Amino acid sequence: MKKSIEVTVNGKSQSVEVDTRMVLADMLRENLRLTGTHIGCGTGSCGACTVMLDGRTVKSCSVLAADADGRSVQTVEGLSTSAVSLHPVQEAMVENQGLQCGYCTPGMVLSAVELLNKNPDPTEDEIRHGIAGNLCRCTGYHFVVTSIQAAAKSMKEGA
Amino acid sequence: MKHIGRAQTSLTNRQLAAGKGVFVSDIQRHDMTHMAVVRSPHASARIVSIDSAAAEAIPGVVKVVTGQEIKANMNPIFEAYDTEAMGAKGVVSYALCPERVRYVGEAVAAVVAEDKYTARKAADLVAVEYETTPIVSNTKAALEPGSPLVEPDWGDNILITRDFVKGDPDKAFADAEMTSSDEVYQHRYTGAALEPRAYMAEYDPYTEQLTYWASTQNPHPVRVFLAETLGIEESSIRVIQPHVGGGFGLKTPTFQEEPLVAYLARSLERPVKFVSERTEDLLVGGHAREMRLSYDVAFTKDGRITGFRAKVVADVGAPSALCGWGMSFVCAYSIPGCYKIENANVKLFSVVTNKCPWNAYRGYGKETASYLMDRVLDDVAAKTGRDRAEVRLKNFIPPDEFPYTQVSGANLDSGNYPGTLKRVLEMIDYEGFPARQEEARREGRYIGLGIGQELTPEGCSMPRSTLLGGYDGATVRVNPSGQVTVLTGITSPGNGNETAIAQIAADSLGVPFDQIKVIQGDTDICPYGLGNYSSRSVIMGGSAVQIAAKDIRDKMLKVAAKMLEVSADEVEVEEGQFSAKGAPARYVLFKDVASTVYRDCHGVAALEVEPGLESTRYFQHGNVYHQPETQGRFSAYPSWPNQSMAMIIEIDPETGHFDILKYCAVHDSGTVVNPLLAEANLHGGFLQGVGGAAHEHLVYDDDCQLLTTTFMDYTCPTAMEVPFFEVEHQETLSPFTPLGTKGVGESGVAGALSGLCSAIENALPHLDLRFTDLPLSPNAVWNAIHEAEEKRT
Amino acid sequence: MISQEFDFEAPSALPEALALLARHGDDATLLSGGMSLMPMTTLGLVQPGMIISLNHIAELDYVREDGNELRIGALTRHADVAADPLIGAHAALLAEAASLIGDVQVRNRGTIGGSIAHADPAANYLPAMLALGARLRLQSEAGERSVEAKDFVKGIMTTAIETGEMLTEIAIPKLAAGTGCSYQRLVRVEGNFAIVIAAAITEPGRKAARVGLGNVAPGPVLVDVSGHLGNGLDDAALAAIGDAAFDAAAEAASDLAGDANYRREMARVFARRAVQSATDAADAG
Ligand SMILES: Cc1cc2nc3c(=O)[nH]c(=O)nc-3n(C[C@H](O)[C@H](O)[C@H](O)COP(=O)(O)OP(=O)(O)OC[C@H]3O[C@@H](n4cnc5c(N)ncnc54)[C@H](O)[C@@H]3O)c2cc1C
Ligand code: FES
Ligand code: FES
Repeated sequence: MKKSIEVTVNGKSQSVEVDTRMVLADMLRENLRLTGTHIGCGTGSCGACTVMLDGRTVKSCSVLAADADGRSVQTVEGLSTSAVSLHPVQEAMVENQGLQCGYCTPGMVLSAVELLNKNPDPTEDEIRHGIAGNLCRCTGYHFVVTSIQAAAKSMKEGA
Repeated sequence: MKHIGRAQTSLTNRQLAAGKGVFVSDIQRHDMTHMAVVRSPHASARIVSIDSAAAEAIPGVVKVVTGQEIKANMNPIFEAYDTEAMGAKGVVSYALCPERVRYVGEAVAAVVAEDKYTARKAADLVAVEYETTPIVSNTKAALEPGSPLVEPDWGDNILITRDFVKGDPDKAFADAEMTSSDEVYQHRYTGAALEPRAYMAEYDPYTEQLTYWASTQNPHPVRVFLAETLGIEESSIRVIQPHVGGGFGLKTPTFQEEPLVAYLARSLERPVKFVSERTEDLLVGGHAREMRLSYDVAFTKDGRITGFRAKVVADVGAPSALCGWGMSFVCAYSIPGCYKIENANVKLFSVVTNKCPWNAYRGYGKETASYLMDRVLDDVAAKTGRDRAEVRLKNFIPPDEFPYTQVSGANLDSGNYPGTLKRVLEMIDYEGFPARQEEARREGRYIGLGIGQELTPEGCSMPRSTLLGGYDGATVRVNPSGQVTVLTGITSPGNGNETAIAQIAADSLGVPFDQIKVIQGDTDICPYGLGNYSSRSVIMGGSAVQIAAKDIRDKMLKVAAKMLEVSADEVEVEEGQFSAKGAPARYVLFKDVASTVYRDCHGVAALEVEPGLESTRYFQHGNVYHQPETQGRFSAYPSWPNQSMAMIIEIDPETGHFDILKYCAVHDSGTVVNPLLAEANLHGGFLQGVGGAAHEHLVYDDDCQLLTTTFMDYTCPTAMEVPFFEVEHQETLSPFTPLGTKGVGESGVAGALSGLCSAIENALPHLDLRFTDLPLSPNAVWNAIHEAEEKRT
Repeated sequence: MISQEFDFEAPSALPEALALLARHGDDATLLSGGMSLMPMTTLGLVQPGMIISLNHIAELDYVREDGNELRIGALTRHADVAADPLIGAHAALLAEAASLIGDVQVRNRGTIGGSIAHADPAANYLPAMLALGARLRLQSEAGERSVEAKDFVKGIMTTAIETGEMLTEIAIPKLAAGTGCSYQRLVRVEGNFAIVIAAAITEPGRKAARVGLGNVAPGPVLVDVSGHLGNGLDDAALAAIGDAAFDAAAEAASDLAGDANYRREMARVFARRAVQSATDAADAG
């Protein structure tokens, strides 16, 4: 069954025709070609598909696209304006080797952004809690955590 | 050397952090179709009939294909190993099973449709009638006389056996002061890269070219395998590896879906895409590890090992074209690891069952060898009442005895095992630990320290294997403006080896790092090479780059010398400048020399050199012996990195739950080209080691049905399960590589296996625990604690 | 990927949703946060003919005070339950239960109503609901009724909710000042469902205490341990509390996370710990 929805993606309002079976991640990836949102499990367990829905992180593999009608979505693509000016969390990941294969990274970045929005000065434990919904198979999380610590610092200094 | 040894972040970070990486599933092509696979629900069955009418009737279905069509039109899947050369049994298997299935999930049919939903829905409607046949569910059953056979033609369920002997083990046991024996078990788990497998093929009937995008580690071997399996020319296939979301060995070829997608794209003349779901990847994406190892050890009262016997019985699942079963061989081949044991016997039985075939997984059997030896050494320490570290130090191969020939004939290139162990013990304050433990006890807390010793041979080269070879190629190309393009046969599945390659190229040529561009993963562009596995990228690929770069540099030195009016041996080059030795003010720029070569070939400076600045060279590793008859030994691994790790855990004896408080490691992989990325790689290894030791488990029931098919059940460790890691490097150079490098990629996955066992044992000394079964789930740990407590009272 | 087609409705008001539910009966499946329904549909474990999303019904998302009770709308997300000041002040046990669910993203999307309606034996809320004495409001087009939390779960993932009914509100009696509570759970890895849960409440002055146990039976189990409080929580009292939990967990099942015996033993440990820490919390004020 097809359904037409109105959704704001990265600040831009769009009308998209979706199949009701389609999850938000697929709509972003396939209809809107925003392929930075990745699918690692499809069942809500890995966080690779994390996006912001109305300002909060959710796993977009487990949200129906049709249910995003009237909502606002932010993806990793919406965080940076150009290749040379990424979001401070992304810059920190780049500088501190907070990634390897990069498959988990967009989701990880969004979780970190959410964390730092709520808690600009998190402890190591709070950071680990904040990204517990994002599996990474490459990094062992060490440099992810140090990247987020660095981002917190730079965001505070920038603010 | 300015760049080799420098901590440099990965060149791909920015693109990937921005979410602008391109993975196979991201690629869309005009007129693209989607493939879904019909999989066997049975572990062992004959296919009686397949009715695809209902599936074909669904609008949007383009084609339903079954095993019979595949068998009529394709060759069996080409095997990664030359099984004959290995003395192993081979298997005839197809992209879709024509007659029988041998594990749950094996592909029997596929549907191609206009969209992925329709493909999946139709695939579920393909009605396959099966007649189930008896199941071989474990190695014990498989080895019983009269057991059903996974491969009826084989006559038994044994894929390969080996019997390595050194010295006189029987005599050593007869003369032994003390002996002990035990059995240890390593459970089945896997790498579970976050990006599931994905392949896409597109065929152009006008040029007769097949373009093939794969989430693979090995583009060139994939091309060979596709050509052989499809029966078409290699030159008509271009394999492209876009970004890969982790491989860890599991993305080495050839899975059933790989040639299947290629076949369908050719026959339909439309692009066909397959993206595996997580459940499919857990079911059929390659398993690893499941081995039972028994041992007898003879030793002196002070803990010196005098004799050793080990038997490795591996459950490699159903045989396939994949190279996974080789892990059982390499496990046996690597025993007894770091230890000098004059009299030893290692037996291997690689057994097939009706479970998912193994595929290569980080560690490749060496981790299980290390796990076994750690358990043995801890056993000897316990029996002799000696310290764990002391017993290890007593039995290590001494640093001055390298190269050292191990029991299997393996030739260990170099190493300083006491060095890494002693250092890691300092890092974790081994001496001071008992006092800390005592103090914690007074607060009602139980902490324990565990140690693990890894030996991780790298750079695998197996006889006549299309996949596993001891060489690789690189092209170094300097353009007229002086920038450098490096093309390699090795690939990066996301571990940043392109960055190390650029560092090596920058130093070898004498140009700034940012002048180097590295291109990988395209068989139409890159020189032939075997891709990424066995941590070979820097050893093989880096060495090939270095040789090719030297060609160019030598040529440019000649031209620069003419330009500087000195002799070539009086010129040196660094960071983009050729200068006269001792007179740095007299220099020409690298780019001006390049320009001269290209633009002034008949001029004075360049007249005597061949035009062009491009060289393709191959590096072949030494220390590999494939002709035991004439070379006296079989040796498949040129380099043998090692690592010592130590961890401190806190255990809750009432629940069996533990936390890792501290994790230290000292790694030795010879020259470290990029300490940052080496460390990053090790961190990932530690995580997978901890995951394997405690959390990740592929569980089958007695009917060989996999019970852990989602990430809810196959529990990967999160950021909460691991601490920060503390890593140091020791550099014992390999004598067999130009730079002394050894390979980093697989280190880290082994140490935690026994390390965690010994840490928990150490935390509760009064209980005299001994763990020999993995994983150490809270339930399993609690059972052991509970049993020991019962025994005490 | 979900391959089976289904109809989809996203009403913006409760009466509309109830009407749809009445019209479509068993064909309709309610969707709240989707944190259970979506994975199950993706895996093909459920195949809804029609999905009615409740996510656009703002009137179901609230927490308010009503005399001696707190009323929580079914669509309230776990993260909001965890952070809500009223819940923190008057039903801290519930806030704790919510804060320990899954991970940030799951808490941002999953709802209290969806979780309770789903009635997974390992899920967080129900043991707390039992200990808190919650009442669940079930509405249909025809009317409404109220069910005590203790009567709600009928079997594994089956509840008192009838066809055409929807859980719309959870009512919780406010805890009196001086009440102690503690929520304890054992997990394999962070973000995973619990192996065992113990949610304890001790009433002011230790007049009474009870523990809601999770994942030791098809539904949550309430154990009244008031009789073991005595004068102080000495070792004997704690052992008796543990024994009571162990006995109450007789129906524990085995699964990949733990076998039945382990579950029962963990019920013992966690009940003891929960009561101990609830009394400590009460003592600390
Ligand atoms: C990775 C992960 C980890 C998790 N970990 C935990 C955990 O540790 N503890 C825990 O408790 N839970 C956990 N969950 C489950 C999570 O809490 C779910 O949010 C919850 O169980 C279901 O709530 P929902 O709002 O998402 O409901 P949905 O998934 O939308 O619905 C669940 C079921 O309830 C029905 N339903 C929904 N709303 C209503 C209603 N108002 N009336 C009647 N029926 C309704 C639906 O039809 C469906 O059958 C986890 C989930 C994930 C993905
Ligand atoms: S893809 Fe959505 S959580 Fe894994
Ligand atoms: S960087 Fe590969 S999964 Fe995280």
